[in-house]
Amino acid sequence: MNHYLELLSILILLSSFILAAAKRIISYIWIFRLQSFLLVIMAGYLGAVNFRKEGDIDILIICMVILVVKVIYIPRLLENTFAKVAYKVEKDFFLNIPISVLICCGLVMLSYFSIFPIDDLREGVMKTYLVNSISVILIGLFFMISRKKAIGQIIGFLVIENGLFIAALLSAHSMPILVDLGIFVDVLAGVMIMGVLVFRINENFESININKLRNLRG
Amino acid sequence: MNYGSLLAGILVLYLAGAFAALICPRNVRLGNTLSQSFSSMASLLGIYLSGSLLLQGPTRGLVYSHVLNVPNITITVTIDSLSAFFLLALSILTLAVSIYSRGYLSHYYHQRNVGLFNLLYNFFILTMISVMTSGNIIFFLISWEMMSLLSYFLVVFEGESRENQRAGLIYLIMTHIGTAFLVIAFMLLYQTTHSFDQSQLHLWVDSPVKNWIFIFLLVGFGTKAGVIPFHVWLPYAHPAAPSNVSALMSGIMIKTAVYGLMRFVLPMITPGYEWWGLAVLLIGTASTFLGVAYALMEHDIKRLLAYHSIENIGIIFIGLGLSFYARAAGNQTLCALSLAASLFHLLNHTVFKGALFLGAGSVHYATRTKDLEKLGGLMKKMPYTGFFILIASLAISAIPPFNGFVSEWLTYQALFANLSSHSTASQLLSIVAVAMLAMAGAMAAYCFVKLLGVAFLGLPRSRQAAEAQEVPGSMKTGMGVLVMLCLVLGVFPRPVWVMLDAVTRSLLGQSIMNGAQGGFFYIYFPLETTVSALSPLMVLLAGILLFVAVGLLVKLLGGKFGQRRYGTWDCGFDGLNARMQYSATGFTKPLRIVFRGLYRPTRELRIEEGASRYYPESTTYLVTTRSVFEEYIYAPLISAFTKLARKTRFIIQTGSIHDYLIYIFLTVVALLLYNGFNN
Repeated sequence: MNHYLELLSILILLSSFILAAAKRIISYIWIFRLQSFLLVIMAGYLGAVNFRKEGDIDILIICMVILVVKVIYIPRLLENTFAKVAYKVEKDFFLNIPISVLICCGLVMLSYFSIFPIDDLREGVMKTYLVNSISVILIGLFFMISRKKAIGQIIGFLVIENGLFIAALLSAHSMPILVDLGIFVDVLAGVMIMGVLVFRINENFESININKLRNLRG
Repeated sequence: MNYGSLLAGILVLYLAGAFAALICPRNVRLGNTLSQSFSSMASLLGIYLSGSLLLQGPTRGLVYSHVLNVPNITITVTIDSLSAFFLLALSILTLAVSIYSRGYLSHYYHQRNVGLFNLLYNFFILTMISVMTSGNIIFFLISWEMMSLLSYFLVVFEGESRENQRAGLIYLIMTHIGTAFLVIAFMLLYQTTHSFDQSQLHLWVDSPVKNWIFIFLLVGFGTKAGVIPFHVWLPYAHPAAPSNVSALMSGIMIKTAVYGLMRFVLPMITPGYEWWGLAVLLIGTASTFLGVAYALMEHDIKRLLAYHSIENIGIIFIGLGLSFYARAAGNQTLCALSLAASLFHLLNHTVFKGALFLGAGSVHYATRTKDLEKLGGLMKKMPYTGFFILIASLAISAIPPFNGFVSEWLTYQALFANLSSHSTASQLLSIVAVAMLAMAGAMAAYCFVKLLGVAFLGLPRSRQAAEAQEVPGSMKTGMGVLVMLCLVLGVFPRPVWVMLDAVTRSLLGQSIMNGAQGGFFYIYFPLETTVSALSPLMVLLAGILLFVAVGLLVKLLGGKFGQRRYGTWDCGFDGLNARMQYSATGFTKPLRIVFRGLYRPTRELRIEEGASRYYPESTTYLVTTRSVFEEYIYAPLISAFTKLARKTRFIIQTGSIHDYLIYIFLTVVALLLYNGFNN
């Protein structure tokens, strides 16, 4: 079973690379949807295994919640938001794409460098999982930095959350269900608020470029 | 008697006092009466508990401890002799203040939330008790911080005016700076001892960090005590607070700092650390002189009293510094004597400063003003208040037979005894301290002549002063309790000596009672020699005899003189008015000339010309003095700090979300790198 999980975690890492290389906002949303879908497959697989072994349906429930929230609802919400504010096409990134991808490679190396020497991890494969998921978190954070528009920040935030979730899922077979559900509610509320804020920013600054927020400083 | 249940009783009564007034919000009067009676009862219990603990000799006292789930935090209540002495001072003061507040708070009825006030007031007292009785450093810090915050809320209780808000802010900032230093000191302490238990203090290791711990403790506690140069908050906070709160703050809260120094620094002293005592002595000497010097220039009664608190804390610090020094130098007798002098003065200051602040509150209650230049002639209208303030003024000016005299005499004796010490620096400092103490005594008398003469004698200078009426009975009783104690402690100090003996025996293992003799005419030889001795009762009798003798002599030699009631000759003008009187500003002019360098006075005369230059429309005469410390120490510090804050805003706090994200990113990367390199 480990091979499938390893493959999935590498695919998720790969999807974050694609995200870092994406140029259009609409493709960010699609890539996020893809990543979340991979997450659903991973959770479904783990959940099924778990159910067969211990009769535990917690992970399956969470898998359904991810499907509804992260694959269907949030991307659609973001698409709607974007459709309402996208009347200008601007360059959305500070660094060009090749450099971004190179930096992302550097981040993966960094997390490998940091995680691999830890001797206490149970199995060798756990290190790969952790390297991949921490890389996803770092790439999400880097993505937030490198994009100018508010939707980029929201996607970056969601990718960080995905990375955290993979880390929890693979290393500890998910957190207690209450914690997981709590986190989903947080994310959902956060994204809805951010979606509203994007409207407000657009109204006030005629753009969703968050650099304009600098003007708010007292 | 079971002390544990007594302590629980005190706790319950204060809690009842805190919530009693909130339970009946409709009937404010009943709520206030209930609340103050509860806290008075609690104070009586407190006096009984601490008094009986002290009179039964040195004690490790009762220990009540409750271990919490959190590591290092235990709620440990320990009452040893030192705590009991502070608890006694606190309870005496709170008894008087609670009786007084019953009447004093009536001017808040239906204007302010008296229930809230009583809640804060009772909790404030409770936190002070827990500061004095805590046996664990963390618990001590928590109580200390709660005490500071509650007193802040009480200071800004009348917080509508900008002035009071500013006073509260200054107080809050200063007290937090002090707490920050304390936290650093305690952390250093933990690093060397690995224990937060106060009973382990005597096991402190000798390490080079000790000097730093002392410095941080001195700054931290010094800020709360209000010694120079950390005194800036005192003259603002005391006038802003309601008078009963000022009495508590000046009377006992600033003394918790002295308690802290005695509790934490005294056990740390070993030979080789003589400079600690000298530093405290120097600070005390400076505060004694500068406190009274600034007090003379103040015309706001409560600011004036606040500066006198600085002076008296200085006197307490002189005794404290001497005892630190003597302990390091190995002179146990002097150490015990000066510690006793310091503690005795502390108790006395609690009593007479409490009475004075309550008196100032009564004046404010009756006239709605604290400005001396608007008062006058109150002695006829408020005879009781006037009399009480007179007695308390005599006590604070260290005039026998009142209590201030006894403790200042002891301080002098300790200083004289130190003249035979081996180090030149300490001899020199003792001489300077004696001179400063003498000068401060004279200037304090001068200052209270000003206060009494301007506020209570002569003609009223404003309509409010002319219409003043005597304050209600409960306020008179509250002041009366303290004033009576001024006399009793001054004439019969023996019980206090016995209690102090218990303290020094439990703290230092040294008795101070070896030089006590006699029964009714009690004589005390502090140095166990026959060089100097004090018998307060004899002093009183001698005073009375002298008074009678002089009276007789005048009667015999002065011939006949009759009494005639008649208006004062007014040089032919039609009637004397209030503006012809000596003003407080005018009265202190000689000192302004003598200490020009300190006060840096400026004066300005503005004349509005009328029809002829011999008949000006109006003249304004403005005298200002400047505070050297605020101008040359605090102002540069504040401006440097605001500059730094402004720079931070432009360099670090840019307002760009990307910058903030980069900070997070770099931190995470740095942590990962750290982890990688460490494995």
